[in-house]
Amino acid sequence: MIAKRKTKSRPRIGSGTAPILSFEGVVKRYGPLEALAGVSFQVHRGEVVCLIGPSGSGKSTLLRCANALETIDGGRVVLEGVEVHDRRTDARKLRRRMGMVFQNFELFPHLTVLRNVAVGPTTVLGMPQRQAAERATELLRKVGLADKAAHYPASLSGGQQQRVAIARALAMQPDVMLFDEPTSALDPETIGEVLSVMKRLADEGMTMVVVTHEMDFAKRVGNWIVVFDHGKVVEQGPPQQVFDEPTVQRTRDFLSHLGWHGESLAAADLLVQPSSTDP
Amino acid sequence: MTLDWSVVWDNRWRLIAGAEMTVILTATTMALALPGGLLLALLRLSHVRLVRSSTTGFVEFFRATPLILQIYWIFYVLPAAFDIRLSEFVTALLGLSLNVSSFNSETFRAGILSIRPGQWNAALALGMTKPQVLRKIILPQATLRVLPALASTWVSLFKDTSLVSIIAVADLSYVSLKIRSETYRVLEVLTAMGALYCLMGYPQAKLVDWMHRRFKVVE
Repeated sequence: MIAKRKTKSRPRIGSGTAPILSFEGVVKRYGPLEALAGVSFQVHRGEVVCLIGPSGSGKSTLLRCANALETIDGGRVVLEGVEVHDRRTDARKLRRRMGMVFQNFELFPHLTVLRNVAVGPTTVLGMPQRQAAERATELLRKVGLADKAAHYPASLSGGQQQRVAIARALAMQPDVMLFDEPTSALDPETIGEVLSVMKRLADEGMTMVVVTHEMDFAKRVGNWIVVFDHGKVVEQGPPQQVFDEPTVQRTRDFLSHLGWHGESLAAADLLVQPSSTDP
Repeated sequence: MTLDWSVVWDNRWRLIAGAEMTVILTATTMALALPGGLLLALLRLSHVRLVRSSTTGFVEFFRATPLILQIYWIFYVLPAAFDIRLSEFVTALLGLSLNVSSFNSETFRAGILSIRPGQWNAALALGMTKPQVLRKIILPQATLRVLPALASTWVSLFKDTSLVSIIAVADLSYVSLKIRSETYRVLEVLTAMGALYCLMGYPQAKLVDWMHRRFKVVE
């Protein structure tokens, strides 16, 4: 099985180097419920790792454990040699290096779009207002929302808000971006604009961990797919393997439940332009 | 019954001075009770159980007992039991501030708790410290939400200051009641007193109504 994986795909990005982020037997319990039952996988620099699987399988929990928004009950999360949940680790220093994008955007409603993006650098890095505003303007241009800088989040569409949230996370110049179901709360017509911003980020070489139900995005943009079920990783591998020749029945069940038959989901097609990374 | 309104006109400066005292008491009390209420609210949200429970006890005591008792208690018990002697004005200010701080703390606490946890997560994920999250993200939103409630408390306070007349603080009530007992012109003096309170209180009440409309939370 492993031999087949090797012949089917290019070598994994960053393989041979130390992973930037690694999860080693992570356990998380909520009372009697074991949300994560020993999850292990690695993320290399420049990779887009997509976490897929049924709702409630622990994907989002894992993401919150990654930047210590949640404590863990076993195992370790390591960011470039630093153990995230070690008591001696300054969680805030690590969080600066991991940008996070939430399902419900969580923009700050009392701040303008520009200030939403600038507030991280000014508050956390002590950057002067002017410089932070310049960086924010630059990032808003990048996500196509420079004209909304003076608006308040409430006047923006969901897709626009999520693009601002991406810019806000990027303003801290993180090494890794964590996306927690970034398009799940969006109207279908605005999903595309968010995914294409994410795709551009991936093309620029940003390291990304994406919890998603957008299988087309995962297949086209993801370099490594991790399939979750009941708090466990049931399968992981390059997208060609996971989507086209899943080795585990669980994966097959999950994909067929979504209506995935190895081809693009129609709705997802408009979202992502074919890219140079596609064969 | 003949009415003699000259008694009001003759004592106009005393009444105005009383009204001034009422305004000063209201404004000073609120100036103390806003930070006081915020502090109590934060203590009540503390992770340390002892801090939380003792603050809760303090707040509940001041909310559950009459203001008049609190003022009397500070006025008579503090000097007798602890040999702490305060002027009438300071006594009044202390009683009102403790009382209103307790009410404000509940208002602030409700405001802080009404901000959804995702806002905390988003700010923490940027690398902010908890105090930074509170100052930059949570409190600005919470304050805006509770502004109408704080304004209502202000108007109640404005009227409740009349209670300090019992310890001879020369506010509008004390002055009015004193003029009444000097002149026996009950109807004229009480009417003037009512008119003055109303003149000052009505615009405040209207302002509160406006704030309720202006800062209504739309989610």
